[in-house]
Amino acid sequence: MSIQREIPLAPTAEAALKTHWRRLNRRQGRVQALLLLATLISCGSVVAILGFLTYFTVPILTEGHLTAIFSWSWRPFHGKFGILPMVAGSLCLAASAMAVAYPLGLGICGFAHGLGPRWLRGPLMGLINFMTSIPTVVYGFVSVIFLVPLVRTTFPASTGYSWLTATLTLSLMILPTIVLLIQAQLQQVDAKVRLASAALGFSPSQTLLWVMRPLAARGLWAAAVLGFSRALGDTLIALMVAGNAPQVPHSMLDSIRTLTAHIALVVATDSTSRAYQSIFVSGLILFAVTGAVNLSLRRLQSRTPAGKRHA
Amino acid sequence: MFQSTKRLLAVILALVFCLCAASFVGAQNLASFKTLKGKIDIAGGTAHIPVMKDAAEQIMKFNPNIRITVAGGGSGVGVQKVGAGLVDIGDTGRALTKAEIAKYGLKTFPFAIDGVALAVNPKNPVSALTSRQIQDIFAGKIKNWKAVGGPNEPIHLFTRDEASGTRATFWKELLKKGPINAKANVVPSNGAMKMAIAQDPQAIGYVGIGFLDKTVKGIKLNRVEPTQENAKSGKYPVTRLLYMNTKGEPSPLVKTFIAYIRGPEGAKIIKKHGFLPLTK
Amino acid sequence: MAYFLARGFAWLAVAAVLGVVLLFLGFLVVRGLSTFNLGLFFGKTPVWAAITGRLPVWHGIWPACVGTILLVLLASGLALPLGVASGIYLAHYAQDAWKRWFGLAVEVLAGIPSILMGLFGFALILFLKKTFVPQANTCLLLSACCLALLVLPYLIFMTQTTLESLPEELRLAGLSLGFTPWQNMLHVLLPAASRGVLSGVILAVGRAAEDTAVILLTGVVANAGLPSGILGKYEALPFHIFYLASQARTEAELAKGFGAALILLLITAALFLGAYYLKSTVTKSWDQKDLLI
Repeated sequence: MSIQREIPLAPTAEAALKTHWRRLNRRQGRVQALLLLATLISCGSVVAILGFLTYFTVPILTEGHLTAIFSWSWRPFHGKFGILPMVAGSLCLAASAMAVAYPLGLGICGFAHGLGPRWLRGPLMGLINFMTSIPTVVYGFVSVIFLVPLVRTTFPASTGYSWLTATLTLSLMILPTIVLLIQAQLQQVDAKVRLASAALGFSPSQTLLWVMRPLAARGLWAAAVLGFSRALGDTLIALMVAGNAPQVPHSMLDSIRTLTAHIALVVATDSTSRAYQSIFVSGLILFAVTGAVNLSLRRLQSRTPAGKRHA
Repeated sequence: MFQSTKRLLAVILALVFCLCAASFVGAQNLASFKTLKGKIDIAGGTAHIPVMKDAAEQIMKFNPNIRITVAGGGSGVGVQKVGAGLVDIGDTGRALTKAEIAKYGLKTFPFAIDGVALAVNPKNPVSALTSRQIQDIFAGKIKNWKAVGGPNEPIHLFTRDEASGTRATFWKELLKKGPINAKANVVPSNGAMKMAIAQDPQAIGYVGIGFLDKTVKGIKLNRVEPTQENAKSGKYPVTRLLYMNTKGEPSPLVKTFIAYIRGPEGAKIIKKHGFLPLTK
Repeated sequence: MAYFLARGFAWLAVAAVLGVVLLFLGFLVVRGLSTFNLGLFFGKTPVWAAITGRLPVWHGIWPACVGTILLVLLASGLALPLGVASGIYLAHYAQDAWKRWFGLAVEVLAGIPSILMGLFGFALILFLKKTFVPQANTCLLLSACCLALLVLPYLIFMTQTTLESLPEELRLAGLSLGFTPWQNMLHVLLPAASRGVLSGVILAVGRAAEDTAVILLTGVVANAGLPSGILGKYEALPFHIFYLASQARTEAELAKGFGAALILLLITAALFLGAYYLKSTVTKSWDQKDLLI
């Protein structure tokens, strides 16, 4: 029945099919356009942020205050708006936090890959994974109540709000990022070399030190770079426990101010003053450094686990 | 079954409301808010926060149609935000400059007197300093408590951020615009200053006199006790007024709020938090 | 010799980190748990009246909790469609050259410190106020937009990688049955990738719930009661903790800070565990290759 009916209708059916296809195609086009639009918005936001930072920085350039901003003294009431102490503060803090966290991270990864007992590996990695979920402000809060008085009583010369306190807290915060990145790389390498090196008679710890470590070099670099970038981008810990004095630190017990904390503190001033303009320069510096870090990461790895990022 | 639980809840709720409403009848000054609704955003001076919060609590409990938000930040924030129109009232702990008034078209409403006191931890035996000593301490010339009659321990210097009106007053009136050591720790509010000093026996900093209590000790300045009475009589020299500022003429709601703060009910709140109300 | 040193160091590192983290968590839990009662949330306001919003809550963290929940919902609502759509585009539609550039932009976005997102939002409002929308103000919506930018990379990345990690057979099977690419995406690939995408969403939610620097500049306040609307100022848990850490006037207020910190930690930890579980099931099922849908 149905076949009989379809045969005479064939030309119309063909036409219907054609319109159907055309409609589908059009819908494809529309869908694709929408998806492209979403992508453009997502990526456009980066351009917008950069644009805004630049837009607000331009007046400084045109009015020739750039040298005033790039100087070593921040005394707004005396007309000195140098942000270099904050640049130094940011770099010092990020570097010192890395100096603490990175070796610890290496140790933990080594532990999980041959230097420690296997049964501890699961719980340890579970804990490290869990650490990624601890809010920054909670780290800061506990540090203010617990670590600051501890540092103060241990070192009477210090107020407790210091580079040292911030370093310890921050290193705890960036540790999971470092461990997870190295760990991911080690796992890849491990799968490739485990049998071969076992066949050659290496012990697991020998494998780790002399076979896997060189092979995982890219992961090691990526972890260092990304950990540094995260430490640089942190605002809350620096703001809460580093003391915020706009000076170049002479010792770990000195109070320091980072670029991020500087933005948070100074955004509150008169929006036409030069102090206010200086935060956009600070922002631009942060943007440039973190951007450069991410570009170099791209060269290091074909794929960055962006999911592991905090700022 | 569910129906009856619901009804019971409704009855309880109604009772609760009646009770709450009954407790409001006595409040007379709040009555002026009765027919008003809308929102007031307040930001700025951190010395003001306790007063503003208390007033907001009274008013919002009395009339839930009014919403009042309170944020800190410092006097600089107060000027900037009210000037940019981001808040309705910008609090400052210092007088506005002529430039600020002209630039933003601000109207200013002082409501309380507050002195700025040098503060140390109660464990610190030092309880009096001269202006000269204070200037030297903040300039970083005196670095040990021993030099001013205290124990042989380093001085921990705390100061406020540049947006602070407390800092502006202190710097102008007491330091005579002298230098502040760049090594000094910077804290972002009166509350934070108080907390830092309360925790640290070697600390010195400055807060509004209203913030002095048993956890932070006020330092006698040239032998004058930092109290609000001395501040009012002029014996204690480092004083300022606390202001509310609006951009242009305030709206009826904001006007009522300002009148409330400057009225007898407000005076009680102001006194409760250690400031002296400004009597007109 | 080197092995012993290395082994000793590894043990030391693990012991140190374990010790510190457990001490940290223990301190927080012990101090936090002791503050848990209705007063922590509602102050002296009757509970039911507080929850229905009939009476404002003072001296309690309830408004901050509501603020954070609204903020997170709004931010994910904004970021989800954008992020998933971008992820799909990058995984299946973009040509290689474009994909490189878009990928680059997403990675730069992922690296931007959160305070810059806040600064962007703040500058944007000042700009809008001066130009097109004089009544623009910092508010819940602005914070949500900036947070959405912050979590967007997570969503894009998770969507893209999960889609790309699906077996090629699955894609071809759908297409050979006559699905158009979009139908195939909608009915075959996305459902298969849903767990991965969902875990990205949960990670994003956790990130939005904990971030403080963004909201610091875009409309959070110390005291607001329940948010009056998406154009109003609001309270939020992370900011509340930050505020109490420096402004607590009494021991009791400080104790509340511990309570709030523990609540926030519980929220982010629960979200994280959810994401972790979903993610592990995804990798397992495709690793075993025994499952096509």
